[in-house]
Amino acid sequence: MSATAAVALDKASALAGELRKLPAFIRRDFLVAWSYRMAFFSDAAALFLQAVSFYFVGLMINPEVLPSFGGSRVTYLEFVAVGIALSVFMHLGLGRVATAIRNEQLTGTLESLLMTPTATATIQLGSVVYDSIYIPIRTALFFAVIGIAFGLHFEPNGFLPALFVLLAFIPFVWGLGIASAAATLTFKRGTGGIAFGVAILTLGSGAYFPLDLLPGWAEASAELNPLALAIGAMREALLGGTGWEGVGRTLLILVPLSALSLAGGFSLFRAALRRERRRGSLGLY
Amino acid sequence: MSSSSEHHIPVLERAGDDPDGAARADAASPLIRADAVSRVYGEKHALVDVTLHVARGEICGLIGPNGAGKTTLLRLLTGLLDPSSGTVRILGEKPAEATRRLRQRVGLVPSGDRTFYLRISGLENLAFFARMHGLGRRAAVAEARRALAEVDLVEAQHRAVGEYSHGMQKRLSVARALITRPEILLVDEATHDLDPEGGRVVRNLVADIAARGAAVVWATQKLDELRGFADRVMLLSGGRTMFSGTLPDLIALSSPRRYVLRVRNGGLSGESLAAVADRLLGDLGTLRTLGEGESSNYVLALERDAILGDALAALARGRMDILTCHEERSELEEAFLSFTRSDSVDPQA
Repeated sequence: MSATAAVALDKASALAGELRKLPAFIRRDFLVAWSYRMAFFSDAAALFLQAVSFYFVGLMINPEVLPSFGGSRVTYLEFVAVGIALSVFMHLGLGRVATAIRNEQLTGTLESLLMTPTATATIQLGSVVYDSIYIPIRTALFFAVIGIAFGLHFEPNGFLPALFVLLAFIPFVWGLGIASAAATLTFKRGTGGIAFGVAILTLGSGAYFPLDLLPGWAEASAELNPLALAIGAMREALLGGTGWEGVGRTLLILVPLSALSLAGGFSLFRAALRRERRRGSLGLY
Repeated sequence: MSSSSEHHIPVLERAGDDPDGAARADAASPLIRADAVSRVYGEKHALVDVTLHVARGEICGLIGPNGAGKTTLLRLLTGLLDPSSGTVRILGEKPAEATRRLRQRVGLVPSGDRTFYLRISGLENLAFFARMHGLGRRAAVAEARRALAEVDLVEAQHRAVGEYSHGMQKRLSVARALITRPEILLVDEATHDLDPEGGRVVRNLVADIAARGAAVVWATQKLDELRGFADRVMLLSGGRTMFSGTLPDLIALSSPRRYVLRVRNGGLSGESLAAVADRLLGDLGTLRTLGEGESSNYVLALERDAILGDALAALARGRMDILTCHEERSELEEAFLSFTRSDSVDPQA
């Protein structure tokens, strides 16, 4: 075996070893979450109550003012359900990714983790992998519950394309979250900035109202807003039944944006960690 | 500590190592090497030109008052902090650029209690950290159970760590360090809030690890716990090395001036006895009551250059029966204070 092949094999083996650690993070975070059982149930109840509120709001809204998808009109609840699901997904995902490392720092476990032979990227990824599974499941349950409870109609042939949009969107949220975690590690406080960023992205995403109600410049900027792109594509898939045709263009934009976000997030976090080691403030918060 | 003042004890061979070959050659060089290390935080010099070498099987006690630089030095050794100048090598590698293989071989018992996931059990915590060391789930649980048994926490293994006492959390911390059977063990104030028995248990565990061949750095403020435990001590104050050597060497440098005496003299006691004793002692020192009322305990404060024997003889000549006599502070404490008092001489100045 050549030296290059041996190095490649070593790297592959190390990568496999790191990936094998991820289930340990999932188990740890599930056990921690399960120890707060009440939060599980209150979260589910809050989600359902939110849907009920939008159902009554929807009764006041004329479907004529809403855009059509796949040539058919939709109710406001159908329209807003996709927006709620994805914006809440982004809010929770971003918040939890950003605070996962911060929480490790606050509980004093970050340094203990860094003392183990675990790559920084694994620690970052591991800290969010549980939420990355839990939040999509929560989103799917949300669709299922309000679909059944309020008789909403989602196109079955849109489920798979919608899932792909979600999968393409997840790394974008991770990347932003990890970048926020880097900012938090450096500036010690950053949740306000995260909330502001999420609010801006949500406002310009058309999650709760049609984008054409926005001023022209804001509507145009939605073309570059990954949340708006993901929501639009998922509405086309789930409500319009346009299948892969409706999401193809979005996936072509989302995938590179997500890759960029993830790469940027990891780079910023590594730089933040190096800086903290240099300054000696890793344990400070 | 400079290289010239190094005092290496005979190093122990690790069980299972080849006694004639690589292990012996390896044992000759320190596993922990910090050379002329300094660390500056802004304007503050937390460590100044500190050198520390620790060999295989050796326990080095790192002592000093709060803010002496002990934790900073340990953080430099773990790679959680970069030195401003100087070099640190752990098992020949820079800890800040540590490979996974190096991290596998280093154990840390941090000073804080909050280094575990408090909502989950001790067993799950240890299994998680074992998995971070690359073990599969089954092996991780087995290792976690073994480590818990070593620190006598089997009965509490399924309880959330948040319900553990300080002592139990410390033992759990040692158990975590035991999981990988480390060659380097760094212990930061492991016993500062433990009762004497809890402290003894933790020290015994660490001594066992050292006996298996690990190089141990044990940072503490409890001087007396180093007696019979540490092979060498390094005393830090204000970020500088004030002493480096063996405990007997450190004790030899102490010069206690105050002693607690239990004295009996016929009808005299308390202040009246002290007044008579003062006249007997003359220029040798003074005797003051310890406690209130008719106590028979006194503090004898010797004048500079006075000899304890002369003072005791003077009291005995005045028909004072000296029932007991001991130093007011341990000789270790005396040595510690003599090096760390603000008016002490800086040996590196």
